[in-house]
Amino acid sequence: MKTKMDFPSINERKPEGVKEDGSPYKVLVVDDSMFVTKQISQILTSEGFEVVATASDGLQGLERYKELYPDIDVVTMDITMPKMDGVTSLEKIIEFDKEAKVIMISALGKQDLVKKALLIGAKNYIVKPLDRVKVLERIIQSIK
Amino acid sequence: MRVEYINPFVEAAFNVLKEVLNTEVKRGELYLKSTSQPVMGVAALVGLAGNVEGRVLFDMSFDTALAVASDMNGEKLEKLDDLAKATITELANMITAQAVTKLHELGFTFDLTPPAIFTGENMEVTDSEVEALIVPMVLPQGKIEINVAVRERL
Repeated sequence: MKTKMDFPSINERKPEGVKEDGSPYKVLVVDDSMFVTKQISQILTSEGFEVVATASDGLQGLERYKELYPDIDVVTMDITMPKMDGVTSLEKIIEFDKEAKVIMISALGKQDLVKKALLIGAKNYIVKPLDRVKVLERIIQSIK
Repeated sequence: MRVEYINPFVEAAFNVLKEVLNTEVKRGELYLKSTSQPVMGVAALVGLAGNVEGRVLFDMSFDTALAVASDMNGEKLEKLDDLAKATITELANMITAQAVTKLHELGFTFDLTPPAIFTGENMEVTDSEVEALIVPMVLPQGKIEINVAVRERL
């Protein structure tokens, strides 16, 4: 299309959510809030990541991870959720795949649980409210 | 009711609203209610139980709730559907988490219930054994009242 040639692209930067081979990093979002799931998905999708699945509790998150494995690159994991909390779900995911890259999403005031999650093997954590810069920075750090 | 219980909620509401809505927030005058009081149309309620007990209500009109949820989602929401309600719930969660962190530092220990959202016309709330302190927060989207009724466990 001619228009594309007329305007120089100012956006030559490769999106951070895309691997060297051009395929997107695949993400599983585990959160019981529809709002947070949507927020994380929008931020990641806008940077080239692909949200391949979502889960609304820790148990479902664990099941999805096992189904997707090894075709999954990173997990965002809420802490307070019904059925199985995020820290237990993390523990079981790490038992299943010790290389799993899981990033905890926490409300303020959950330092003890965040600390526990990091000791178990979470790669990083993000404290809510979430913003684009914070989410991308923490997730990119954990996959690079 | 002691004012020190409400201040952390007001500060947290101020900070969180400013951050998630990226807007000016004005704090209105604090007032006290010891009788039944009307609820504006959408209310998120969080219960507290521990060495202090009671409840916190984030109260707003239907239009304000929709405007706030729309801005938090970055898109115009037409009705107060599951997503809009989940958004208001998350707002209540974030404010409460920040306030509770402060209250825990002050030595109050208690657990919280997950927020419940009430919607409807002509609702009232009655706290027969504890008076409520209310601080209105004024935003371009409308008014949100932080309504706290908490006491020390007897």
